[in-house]
Parts: sequence; structure tokens; C-alpha cells
Amino acid sequence: MLSPERLAQPDHEYLAQRHVLTYMEDAVYQLLENREDVSQYGISRFFTEYFNSVCQGTHILFREFSFIQATPHNRASFLRAFWRCFRTVGKNGDLLTMREYHCLLQLLCPDFPLELTQKAARIVLLDDAMDCLMSFSDFLFAFQIQFYYSEFLDSVAAIYQDLLSGKNPNTVIVPTSSSGQHRQRPALGEAGVPEGVEASQFYQCLENLCDRHKYSCPPLALVKEILSGVQRLTFYGFLGSLSKHPGVNQALGALPDKGDLMQDPAMDEELERLVVRSRLHRTPRQHRAQEPGALGTQRRDKLEALERAPEPSRWQPE
Amino acid sequence: MIPGKYRSVSGRSANNVNCGLHLVIQTSSLPEKHKVEFKLHRDTPSFPGRLLQHDLERNYSSRQGDHINLVSSSMPSFPILHRSSEEKILYSDRLTLERQKLTVCPIIDGEEHLRLLNFQHNFITRIQNISNLQRLIFLDLYDNQIEEISGLSTLRSLRVLLLGKNRIKKISNLENLINLDVLDLHGNQITKIENVSHLCDLRVLNLARNLLSHVDNLNGLDSLTELNLRHNQITFVRDVDNLPSLQRLFLSFNNISSFDSVSCLADSTSLSDITFDGNPIAQESWYKHTVLQNMTQLRQLDMKRVTEEERRMASVVAKKEEEKKRESQKQSLLKEKKRLTINNVARHWDLQQRVANSATNQDRKESASPPQDQDCCQTEGSTVSPLPEDTGAVDSGLSSTFQGLSVIDTHLVEVDGDTLSLYGSGALESLDRNWSVQTAGMITTVSFTFIEFDEIVQVLPKLKMKFPNSLHLKFRETNLVMLQQFNALAQLRRIDQLTVDPQGNPVVNFTLWKYYVLFRLSHFSMQKINGTEVTQNDMIMAERLFGILAHIASSELPQYRLISILGDVRKKQFRYLLETKGKKPGIVNEENNDSKRLVGENTNRATLNYTTREFYNEKLEDIKEKKKFCKMYMEDLMKEATEINMKNEALQKLWPQMFIELVRDAVIEIRNKNSYMKLCLQQITDQK
Repeated sequence: MLSPERLAQPDHEYLAQRHVLTYMEDAVYQLLENREDVSQYGISRFFTEYFNSVCQGTHILFREFSFIQATPHNRASFLRAFWRCFRTVGKNGDLLTMREYHCLLQLLCPDFPLELTQKAARIVLLDDAMDCLMSFSDFLFAFQIQFYYSEFLDSVAAIYQDLLSGKNPNTVIVPTSSSGQHRQRPALGEAGVPEGVEASQFYQCLENLCDRHKYSCPPLALVKEILSGVQRLTFYGFLGSLSKHPGVNQALGALPDKGDLMQDPAMDEELERLVVRSRLHRTPRQHRAQEPGALGTQRRDKLEALERAPEPSRWQPE
Repeated sequence: MIPGKYRSVSGRSANNVNCGLHLVIQTSSLPEKHKVEFKLHRDTPSFPGRLLQHDLERNYSSRQGDHINLVSSSMPSFPILHRSSEEKILYSDRLTLERQKLTVCPIIDGEEHLRLLNFQHNFITRIQNISNLQRLIFLDLYDNQIEEISGLSTLRSLRVLLLGKNRIKKISNLENLINLDVLDLHGNQITKIENVSHLCDLRVLNLARNLLSHVDNLNGLDSLTELNLRHNQITFVRDVDNLPSLQRLFLSFNNISSFDSVSCLADSTSLSDITFDGNPIAQESWYKHTVLQNMTQLRQLDMKRVTEEERRMASVVAKKEEEKKRESQKQSLLKEKKRLTINNVARHWDLQQRVANSATNQDRKESASPPQDQDCCQTEGSTVSPLPEDTGAVDSGLSSTFQGLSVIDTHLVEVDGDTLSLYGSGALESLDRNWSVQTAGMITTVSFTFIEFDEIVQVLPKLKMKFPNSLHLKFRETNLVMLQQFNALAQLRRIDQLTVDPQGNPVVNFTLWKYYVLFRLSHFSMQKINGTEVTQNDMIMAERLFGILAHIASSELPQYRLISILGDVRKKQFRYLLETKGKKPGIVNEENNDSKRLVGENTNRATLNYTTREFYNEKLEDIKEKKKFCKMYMEDLMKEATEINMKNEALQKLWPQMFIELVRDAVIEIRNKNSYMKLCLQQITDQK
């Protein structure tokens, strides 16, 4: 942390790189939104909670899309939250369509754009039959790279198109699009012409891109690894292998490895408790078994304290 | 001619025989043995057919034919009849030749005064050789094998013609029998009534047991009093109103099934006695009063007297039927109107959907072109797409058709027992109406069709209050597309059943939608979804699939967000209560308790809310404003901070130098002790 490079950066650059301002702005905004409630227990506590939640990655729950997309940390937290919430769906073995996954995404972020989900689905389905069913893990990993590296991928798409059409790839390509905009899909190679582009040429362009790009990119070493394995490759083939590469996943750090995707013992324990509680809850309505749980007891107590809070005093009509 | 009555009685036993007509011919002295009494009798008429069939047989069983001699003539085919002169004088006007095994009519010689001729129970195939008996009044050919009416053209005086139980296929050759009083053709094979229009003196016509399928051609029978049509295949009756004297009409054992087929009877003023038994019409529930209502002149129906009571009942029932018909007409009109309205609403809805879809497509196309507004593109993804203000010709064309449709009814509200059905978004306003407590209390099912779900969400609080017993909600063509939208249903008091029709609700295509509903609305303990029972396993599965979502949503949200989200929900409820004025404080508390109870039951789910698209967009607008402010504020702070930091850094850089200079200055000053002491003293005195 105390490296000399850090000190060498001018202030605003430093702040921008760490997205400090984004979080500060958001904190102030949240304060504005909830000032009546926050005033109850103090501003310092508020800030503590806020930044704690940022650290834990729960700050993006039920927030608007613009905020979720704002920083890489947000994106990673969102991915992790999605995994944790809907891992059970995947564990159940259901194969869902792109629209269903989109529905689930919308549960966490009401205005999540359909296009992103569509692009992610294309990676899984290799741009084929968009109504096909996808498994949870396939979709999740494809969605990960699509969402986390969306600007990067847009630029790669542009490069790919250029390469396909034979243009000089070393001309400066400025990414003009932001992630929400619609991009033309790179067309697959026509019959007779060998599919895709040459891997080495492609790699060179990507190298240039990563150097210039101010958005996050996957580690170049891994990209090189992927591209060195083949002679030619298509756009979606490249993306597919990118999504399946475990190294990329680890570099991102949001999700566990594919093998461990369905494992989350802490949550499973909690779930069991919930299931049992709901079973007991259903038959005798009055009987509510208070089970002491290792996890989340404090939170639950907090919530119950909340409901016992003197609400009536607030709502009495004058 | 004197219309007499005919009756024949056996020797001694004067049976009270029921006779059709009683034609009586006075005879002079009657010997004991051969008593053929013809008495004048004015009795209630009855059936000549029956008489002739049953009673005559009974009567004459022991009776022998007249003492006659049948002598074969010179002509081989026809026997010639001779009677002893004694007999001739005794029974000069009547001749009985029954059961004589005759196959042809014999030539009757020298009996020109004959007035009664009886050929019953023989095997005669043709009526012949009687043309000379021009005084004949009574001719009886019952129970023979005659196939055609013929040979009667000279018998101008004939008044009674009995041709029952023969093989006659057609009524014909009766042209000259204008004095005919009784015509009996029962038990033949006649298919059509014809050639009787000239018989203006005919009083009794018996066509029972024939093959008639309908009755018409009855004009000209001005004297007809009794018409017997039993045991035929009659399906309809016409022309009876052309019979001015008809009093008795027997239609038993035919094929009449509706009163319309005998409607002419209602117009006949003379009819007083009618029978319909053995017809299909007599089995109908409405038979008696329909007949009585339509034939008020009737005195006997099916041989039973019509009482005043019956008549009264008939008119009452008839009135009721009339009313019922009017009611059903009204009902069908209403139904038609309803159908048209629903069709109209459906068309409206379709149009709306198409406009919305074309708008989304246009939106996408616009954003594909070179980038315009960078900031708005983020929030207006294709899921949240309002109608763009500047669409081209497509939109304007559609909107003009829109206006054209609004002239007719655009919505429909229907209450049907325990179901309230709403079609079209205009129908939602009807919830504001003053519903009577009874009606509102009876409603257990509310069905929404052709209404946007977002609009329904806004009226759910109203629904909750006005229809407290609504336990079953049905949605069809309501544009349910996101699982999130089900969150909105949590604000209701209770739902037992939920039906989401796949038509117009894309959300049903998702495999997990039911589980999500069960999970989110678990506190309702729903019994049925789309008609299938909810099992314990379903609930557990729902909990398994989404339980973690709830857990995370509740336990991992920071405190202030929890309060704000929960508070939001309750704020909305409270705001609604404020809007509906005139509420007593008691109800507010009730609401409060209600919501507390709700919160208690599903704490961890309460954070999963649904805000309709419009609200959400409004919120986003709000957010933009606030964020701009925050950004500016933070920028100011940052500038300040960087300035200070710069100054601090600059100070840090300069400080060593500054420190050295300070030290050097100080050292230089103190170098010369004496001069320094002097300087200090100087400074102190200067200060004073």
C-alpha cells in the first residue's frame, strides 16, 4: 500500500483509479436519501456501515444498474451476490432460458438491461438458437466475463470485425461505445473462407488494446495462453474459452472455481434452518421456533428489534 | 233431410250402447225373434266406429241373418237374392246380409224400396249391383275387403255410409251423395282427406285408424260436428277453423308434438271437446296449460271436464312463461353486449401491445445509430422503455385508430355471484364506486383481463379495503413479464388461490415462476396455483430455491437500507390512507397492526418489493438530480482536499529546507553571545 508509485500519481488520478470518489459520492447520496432514518443513530455509524458493506460486497443489492456498473469492485460484488443467491437454483439442476436468467437478475437489479444477458447467452450458445436452455454454471461464467469486461469485449469485437474484413488492425481504435449500447455482432465466416481470424494477429491487436485501455482487461498472460493453443479462432470461440478458463476466474476473484460452484456450506446450513423453520411455521401459525443459529443470529435479532421498534408513534395521524 | 240418430240394439238386452249417430227408422210391428230396433235417441254422441266394431258384433252374434235365399243366377259370378214375399212384407225396407260369406254383392231383385242394407262381415271386394236401390238411406259394408269406393253414384238418398274395416286407399266417388250425414271410413288405408268438400250435410266423419299424416282440405263441411282422427300418424292439423260447426275433435294417438302444428284449433270458436292423449304433446310439462290457454272455448279435454281452476292455472303459467321469455331475451341481449365490449377491449389491448412493441423496437434501432445521449442510454435499457416522443409515422397512424375505438365501450365490469370481472384498464376506476357491503362481502374471486399489471398494482390497496373477502385472483392478458412483479401481491391481506393464465402473461413460461410465487407469498399459505393444489413439497422446494435470496436480502443489507426499504413500503401504505379521507383513527391502527403482523410473518421477504416501471423511472430521475448534487459536493470536497494535500506535500518538501534555514538563522543569531544578549534586551525594552 505504501509503495512509492502510489505517491507518484497525481491526486485525481489516484482517486479515480481507486474509484474513491464514486464511493464517496454514493455514500453522500445514500445519506441524503435516508437522512431521517440515519439521523437516528448517527452519521459516523452510517459511514462505518456503508463502507463495511462495500467491503463485503453487499452494497450493490437492489441498486440501480448505473451504480452496479460503475466500478469493477461493484461488478465483482454483484456477480458474487448473484452466485450466492441463486446457487440453489443451479444446484437443483434446472436448465433455464436466457429470459429466465434475466428475470433472476432483475430480482437483484430491477433495471438490468436485457442486452447484457443476451450477449452472455450468446457466448454460451455460440450465437446459436437463443432460446436454448443453459446450465447455471455455464451461464454464470459467461455472464461474468461479459459483465466484468464488457467494455473490453466491445473493443475486441470491433477488432475482430476489422480483422475479418481485412482492415489494418494497428489503426487506433477508440472505443466509442459504452456498455449499454447495442453492438453489431461479428458475422461468422462465410463458406469457403476459413472461419475466424488468425490467432497471432489477433493477439497482437489485443496486446495493443490492453496497453491503451483504461477499463479492466483480463490478464494478458492468460490471453496469450488461450490464443497460443489455436491457429484460428472465432469471436465467440475466443470468448467461450475465456469464460471457461479457470485462471481468468481466479484473477477476477468473484466466484469460486467451477468445481466448487455449488458449494457454500455456510449458506447451506442457513438454508436448512430456514426450511425447517418454514415447515414448522406453516402448520401451527402461532408457533415460531426460535432456533439459535451460528450465522446470522445477530442479524435476525436486529431485524426483530426493528419490528418491535416503536413504529406506531411514527404513524399516528396528526 | 231429417238428421236422425241411429242406434241398433240387440234383441232383448237393451244395452246402453254408446252410439255415434243415432239414425232411427221407425218400424211397425216387431216380432220377438227378429227384433231390430231402431230407436230415436237424442243422446250424447259417441263413436260409431266403436259401436259398429264391438257392440254390433256382440249384438248380432246370436243373430242370424234374415231368412234369405241365395239362388245362383244364370250369370255365374253374381248370385241373385230372393226373399220370400212374407219377409218382404215384414221387413220391406231393410235387408241384412251379414256373415253370409259373400265375396261379391249379389243382385238384389225386386227390392226397390229398400232403405237399409247391411253387408257386414263378408268378403266383398267391390261395391256393385246396388245402383237400383235408389231409396237406400243406410248402407253398411263394415268389415269387408273393399278396395275402392265405387258403385254409389245413384244412391242420392244415402245418409249413412259405413265402410269401416276395409281396404280403401282413397276417398273418391262420393260426388252424388250430397245428403250424406254419417261417413265412417275407420280402419282403412286412407292417406289423404279429399273429395269431401261437397258433403255440406255431413255431421260425423270417422277416419280413425287410417294412414293420415296431416289434416287439411276440410273446407265445405259446414255441418260437420264430430271428426274422429284417432290412431293415425297426424303431425299437423290445418283448416279446422273452416269448419263452423265442429264441436268434437278426436286426435288421440297421433304424432302431434307441438301446439304450433295444431294452431288453427285456437281460431275455431265451435270446438268444445278435444282429445290429444297418446300424442307426444301430451307428455310435455306445458301441455295442459298451453292447450287451455290457447283454446279458451274448450269444455272437455281428453274426455275430462275443464274446471275453472285449471283455466286460471293455465293463464298464470302462460304469463310466467311470457315473462321468462322476455327475461331470457334480455339476458341474451346483455350477453351479446358483453361479448362485444370484451371484443372491443381485446382489440384495444392488442393495439396497445403492438404500439408498445413497435416503440421498443424503434428505441433499439435509435440507440444502435451513432451515440446520442450518453447518460440516458444507461438507464433506458430495453426492459424499461417508455414511448419515445418523436417516433415517426407508425405511431401517429396507430394512435388515430386508437381514438376511433374509444367511442364504444372500452371497459367492462361484471359481478357474477362471487366473481368480480374487470376487462380493460378503465374498469379499474369502478373500484372507486360505492359498493354495497353485501355485494362487496360476497366477492371472493377477482379476475383481471386486458389490463396492465402495473396498473393493477396501483389499485391493490383499494382492492384490499373494498373487497375484504377476495381470496382468489385471476390474471389474463395482463402483461406479467417479471418474477419481481409478484412481489407486489404481498401487500394484500390474503390470497388463497392464484390463477395466471398463460395467455398474455409471458412469465408463466418460466419454469420456476410457481416456486417464486410460493416463496414470496409464503405467508399467505396459498392453497392453489393455476388450479393445482400446493403441496408441502412445493413449499419446501420454493424455500430451497429462493430461501437464500431472502436471507441475504434481509440479513446482509446494511441497517439504513433495511429501514429505508421497509419504511418505503409502509410509507406508501400510509400515504394511501391519507389520501382516502374520512378514515377513522381506528382503521389506521388496524392497518398498522396488520402491517406489523405481516412484517412479523415474513421479515426476510419484506425487502423484496416491486415498484412499477413508472415509479421506478420517476425514482431514477430523482436519483440523477441527487447524484449530480452529490458529485458536485464531492468534487468541491475533493478540490479542497487535494489543495490541502498539495499544500501539505509542498510543505513536506520545503520543510527540511525551511527547518535548516530556521536552525541556521537561529545559530547565526546566537553566534556572538554578547551581541545576542544585547539584542534580546533591546527587543524587550522595545516591546514595552
